[in-house]
Amino acid sequence: MAQSRVGTRTIAPPLEPGAPSDFELMKGIQAGDADALSQLYDRYNGILKALILRVIHNEAEADDLLQEIFMEIWNQAKNFSEQKGKPLGWMVTLARRRAIDGLRKKQAYARAEERLQNETEQQPDAWVHNATEEEIVLGDTRVLIRKVISSLPPAQQQAIDLAFFRGMSQREIAAKTNTPLGTVKTRLELGLKKYMTASRT
Amino acid sequence: MNFEQFQNQSRLYVIGALEAEELEEFEEARKKFGKKAEDFISKCYALHEAFALSLRPAKSSDAIKERLMAMVKAKKQS
Repeated sequence: MAQSRVGTRTIAPPLEPGAPSDFELMKGIQAGDADALSQLYDRYNGILKALILRVIHNEAEADDLLQEIFMEIWNQAKNFSEQKGKPLGWMVTLARRRAIDGLRKKQAYARAEERLQNETEQQPDAWVHNATEEEIVLGDTRVLIRKVISSLPPAQQQAIDLAFFRGMSQREIAAKTNTPLGTVKTRLELGLKKYMTASRT
Repeated sequence: MNFEQFQNQSRLYVIGALEAEELEEFEEARKKFGKKAEDFISKCYALHEAFALSLRPAKSSDAIKERLMAMVKAKKQS
């Protein structure tokens, strides 16, 4: 897997010796090399699928969307610029936007909302809930990110979770959590600031 | 808006959590702070990557990749 960053800190899961970097694969895709896309897919399909699933909570729809997103990566690769950031960040931004768009368009939105409601009631903080199990099976990058996230107060984690993975506005979060709008704003601001600060130390 | 307030707003901006009425003021501050603002916003986008990496990778069926590569091949030939 390629290098990853938490906040402004670089974490570097090792690439296998001789494996092309993400930037090299993106250049290959820009040049029309299907094998580069195949390698990028192998490297990141699991992460992107997890992100999509977290948003739409439907396995079959997540698979369809994953395929569409990689097709979009192929079609839109010319718009990727090294100056603007790293390939994974670009792909995650694209995948998140597509997943949230899809969620809002489909009738599945209501069903997913219901599922989220149930999950929220059963496990108010999925990030924290999974931390122990994850630490056993995941690599250093994920463990470190989770450690930083789980250091945040649960209310801040929940606000970030709803904003990032559900695409909710501050008002929507306030309505969903029955919390004053100003409190939601403060939770998001403090949570994200703490996250970025902690990930630099 | 001072730069610290701009930083707070930037973090909300990159995750799409700024309210519509906050966006105008944010864009004005973005212009005012120029390159310093753009550099900070770029750093904030690393949040996307980090939050995605916080999730346990999910398995997808081999058929998805086969369909994808068939579509790519067809597109190259067209």
